[in-house]
Amino acid sequence: MPSNSIKLLAGNSHPELVHLIAQRLGLEQSKIGVYQYSNQETAVTIGESLRNEDVYIIQTGCGEEEINDFLMELLIMIHACKTASARRITAIIPSFPYARQDKKDKSRAPITAKLIAKLLETAGCDHVITLELHASQIQGFFRIPVDNLYAEPSVLKYIKETTDMNNCIIVSPDAGGAKRAASLADRLDLNFALIHKERARPNEVSKMTLVGDVTGKSCLLVDDMADTCGTLCKAADTLLANGAKEVIAIVTHGIFSGNAAGKLNESKLKKIVCTNSMPVGDLQVKKLEQIDISATLAEAIRRLHNGESISYLFTNQC
Amino acid sequence: MRDLVVLSGSSHPKLTERICRNLSIEQGEVDLAKFSNGETSATIKKSVREKDVFIVQSGCGHVNDNFIELLIMISACKTSSARRVTAVLPLFPYSRQPDIPYTRTGAPHLPSMGPNQISFDTAPTTPGSTSRESSRPPSDPKTDAAAPIHRAIGQLRKEDMPSAPPSPTRSRSSTRIPVIPMYQPTSLATNLSSLLGSFTPLNAAGKQGYKQWIAQSGTLIANLLTTAGADHIITMDLHDPQFQGFFDIPVDNLYTRPLMAQYIKEYIPDYLDAVVVSPDAGGAKRAITVADKLGCSFALIHKERRQKMTASSDPNHTSGPSSDASVVSSPHPNVVLTAKQTMVATTMMVGDVKGKVCVLIDDLVDTSSTIVRAAKLLKDQGAKYVYALVTHGVFSGDAIDRINSSCIDKLVVTNSAPQEENVELLGGKVEVLDVSRVLGEAIRRIHNGESVSMLFDQGW
Repeated sequence: MPSNSIKLLAGNSHPELVHLIAQRLGLEQSKIGVYQYSNQETAVTIGESLRNEDVYIIQTGCGEEEINDFLMELLIMIHACKTASARRITAIIPSFPYARQDKKDKSRAPITAKLIAKLLETAGCDHVITLELHASQIQGFFRIPVDNLYAEPSVLKYIKETTDMNNCIIVSPDAGGAKRAASLADRLDLNFALIHKERARPNEVSKMTLVGDVTGKSCLLVDDMADTCGTLCKAADTLLANGAKEVIAIVTHGIFSGNAAGKLNESKLKKIVCTNSMPVGDLQVKKLEQIDISATLAEAIRRLHNGESISYLFTNQC
Repeated sequence: MRDLVVLSGSSHPKLTERICRNLSIEQGEVDLAKFSNGETSATIKKSVREKDVFIVQSGCGHVNDNFIELLIMISACKTSSARRVTAVLPLFPYSRQPDIPYTRTGAPHLPSMGPNQISFDTAPTTPGSTSRESSRPPSDPKTDAAAPIHRAIGQLRKEDMPSAPPSPTRSRSSTRIPVIPMYQPTSLATNLSSLLGSFTPLNAAGKQGYKQWIAQSGTLIANLLTTAGADHIITMDLHDPQFQGFFDIPVDNLYTRPLMAQYIKEYIPDYLDAVVVSPDAGGAKRAITVADKLGCSFALIHKERRQKMTASSDPNHTSGPSSDASVVSSPHPNVVLTAKQTMVATTMMVGDVKGKVCVLIDDLVDTSSTIVRAAKLLKDQGAKYVYALVTHGVFSGDAIDRINSSCIDKLVVTNSAPQEENVELLGGKVEVLDVSRVLGEAIRRIHNGESVSMLFDQGW
């Protein structure tokens, strides 16, 4: 007799993370096949009944070549579950695609994050769980509930376990991330510094000014994502030039597109730490370390399924 | 024309260029790019406020990329206060719903087959191409994880999947998304059930008695376009005319039949003696319309799928002309029957084509196995010359090689998808009809609020 139980479905974007989440929950992944026809259209087959079940679909936004493929996979999977009479469909999107296109920054530019939100709703999504949205205002683009989880508890734990806290300082590489860094500094009871970027022209980081004193300290650069890593590497140079002892970068989403690997290897960063919200694949970076956030996501699934509060996860590591 | 803006997606810029030339207007400027993380960006360069915007994007090439790009462009126009946004999709993506064979009880019929059995519509192997197994890089961790399964079904895969295309230009290097051949229901299911093992390691413990099914994405695609803000859709030769009903907005489905009829009249000598042939029962209506219009005779090829209790691998069993002259069954060359109870494919020909010029008419050629098989059958039945007239040429996988070595003497496609590359590969065997005039005229008429229905009947 099918009951209202958790069904875990996965797309092709990040099988390792799904595996970890399934292990944490002590569940098997549901039988589903996501393929591409030879004409590159996406095909989804469902191998078991989802009628009246609580369905969780895990798909992260990643892949330089495949990001749109993964998005279509997610939409078709949601639609397939809807037509299979699932009770509730929750999309778990650790790294929300198009999150940075969240405003009309120039005339006649699309607000793609809003479009993605509408597409997910149209496909039949009932609930969204995501991790560290670039701007938490994106939650307002949805008419369905969105739980924006934070990597902060996991990052806190990592810092406490791996670094000597006596001589540390938290640094934000730009003004936009100041709030995130300040919150982390508060919780660790550490000092806080800020790097201010002056842009002479767009797309060109010309001059970096450090606000705060980092002399002789080990700096923890904190940001929500690392994409081409230009800012991070420049920030590391600036910090070392200002007398910092060492620089460690901690980011939530490690996108590492373009020539990020090369830049990181050449940079003066001691370590780069990211969560496993996105697969890093065969990135050849020796100083890369990953924080596992599957526990947070798994606990969110469990709590959502049982109708318990999620807010505990915003501040506590599980 | 006032307030008319035609924008081009990145899928088929040449077609947009031609449409604009036919309309004597300048193409609207749009900035299409990719961010370094692969996300699509689209910016409309000139104001579209209160304008009538048409966006041309075909569902070819990297389908999902192009489709998302279209959605983003529509949304960009909408947020820039365009009065009306019309999506022009000459080749509609996801227009074919997978046709799952159904049993009498209504459940999808997906027989479970062992690795020794090979389905009847086994794709013809292309000489010289490599199998999927060996084309994968050995360092791929997924291959390693799936290695035992791989080996177990190695035999099946080699035989059953159209192998990786030999030309690197047609293959996309995605190691993370498995590729399966298109719309071959039984072989599809066979591949899936075996592939599924590599995805969900615990599927042996799954529930019994649930048949897997393939998601039908038609309504979804329609809803996504509407959600993005499309007010109107223009498309051509939809595979299922019912697809129009999935939309809540007007859909103009244009036809290429007038173009095809014109081609037959002008380029096929003694076309009144020719036989118009539909390669499968599904396309019979389409082909009959053309035959009626021209006054040609008509023939139909039908592929039967039957469960037979005792199957014989003796070729004489199903081959050879039967006593009835008009109904002839012929074996498919790749039919391999190994089990007592198995599916038997009998390809039937209704109509006489002996010594005649045959004109195969279909709406879409993808892997090309249907049309190639049909051409072979026609030649076996004594056809003199085989034309194949097709609206949409997708030519995925090793379709080009298959057509090159097939019995088709002349392939005629439209430029609803880019064909330059295919023309280069196929040479004189292929001819391309231009649909930009039909599309341009439809855009003009829709913009001016005139009737479009005359385009359905008359050639342009």
